[in-house]
Amino acid sequence: MSQRAEAAARAALAYRALADLAETVEDEWQYVNDLADAYQASILELGALVAPLPVGAAAAVEEAIDEIGLITDPHKAIDWLSTFPHVVAIALGGSVDHGPEPAPSDDSDDDSPEPPAPDDDPPFRLLQFHPR
Amino acid sequence: MRFQDAARDARTVVYAGIQADPLVARVATLLVLASPAERWMARAVMNGERTEAEFWRRMFPTLFDDGPAADAVSGDGNAAGDLAESLLAASLEVANRGEQARSQFRGAIVEELTAKLLARRGGTVRRERRVLFDGVPAEIHPYDVTVEPPSKPEVYDCKWGARGINADVLNQLDDAQSHAADEDIELTVALVVFDARRSAEIRLDRSRARRDRTGLVALEDLDELGTAAP
Repeated sequence: MSQRAEAAARAALAYRALADLAETVEDEWQYVNDLADAYQASILELGALVAPLPVGAAAAVEEAIDEIGLITDPHKAIDWLSTFPHVVAIALGGSVDHGPEPAPSDDSDDDSPEPPAPDDDPPFRLLQFHPR
Repeated sequence: MRFQDAARDARTVVYAGIQADPLVARVATLLVLASPAERWMARAVMNGERTEAEFWRRMFPTLFDDGPAADAVSGDGNAAGDLAESLLAASLEVANRGEQARSQFRGAIVEELTAKLLARRGGTVRRERRVLFDGVPAEIHPYDVTVEPPSKPEVYDCKWGARGINADVLNQLDDAQSHAADEDIELTVALVVFDARRSAEIRLDRSRARRDRTGLVALEDLDELGTAAP
């Protein structure tokens, strides 16, 4: 296992422990697990990047792991469920801000419409509506 | 539709003291200039357990002496490493205020940061304002930050973390937009979240509140607040 993959794997393991603490806040169980499912996979993907490990990256990840290991308050653990993956991504290089790429389709008859062009008028993107 | 200062009860008087603390303005001023990575560092420090600067420098080596980002030039024309050091010091001051106080400081910092970024457009930015509509009972909670030109006014609710997003907030924003539309006013309503867009979208995906007319500005998008009028 490469040093990068090892750092990412250790971070993902620590992240799972953080999520275990956070999910004891019963009202936030769903949110905690949604975050954990999304970001744990993304942390592991950082370990598969081919870019060389930046100077100090492995030590930085260890410091981040030590920091979340100090947390005993599940509410603070929830705060870190979003922060920790980004700290790891800054250290290792790469991003945790996207989900897995959709599988490419080889259906040449696909006539699904093109996605709409981004709205360049407002200073921010409007939220997408996700019907449930 | 018209704007009005929020009533000042005991809670708002206490919170106004936090908002007026010079540390809030100092952190927000540094965050305006900061890169997304520096903003993540500040978020981590202000959420963090440890309060020794050296520890945080080791966690973010690319922002300080050893990393390439430290040699870049930041928005204030100084070396980015200087900005990172200033931001780290200020963030640690917030962390050292104690658990209860730091929570209030963090909220006030996001509001001040939002106001400073919006002010880059040159208009007047207001704080703690209610919006009143003809024939509609007034909402209890004021909006954190507003821009109030006669045409295309804007209201913003600011959150330190995506966890702060809830149905009440989303409903208030959507209702305001809807009531404004009833008066033929194009009101921009948005959430500003000092957290990842992905985390906010995960939070929103489980909400049944209507939100398709509500904007979202996340940590990585913050600079967009100051670049263009809607």
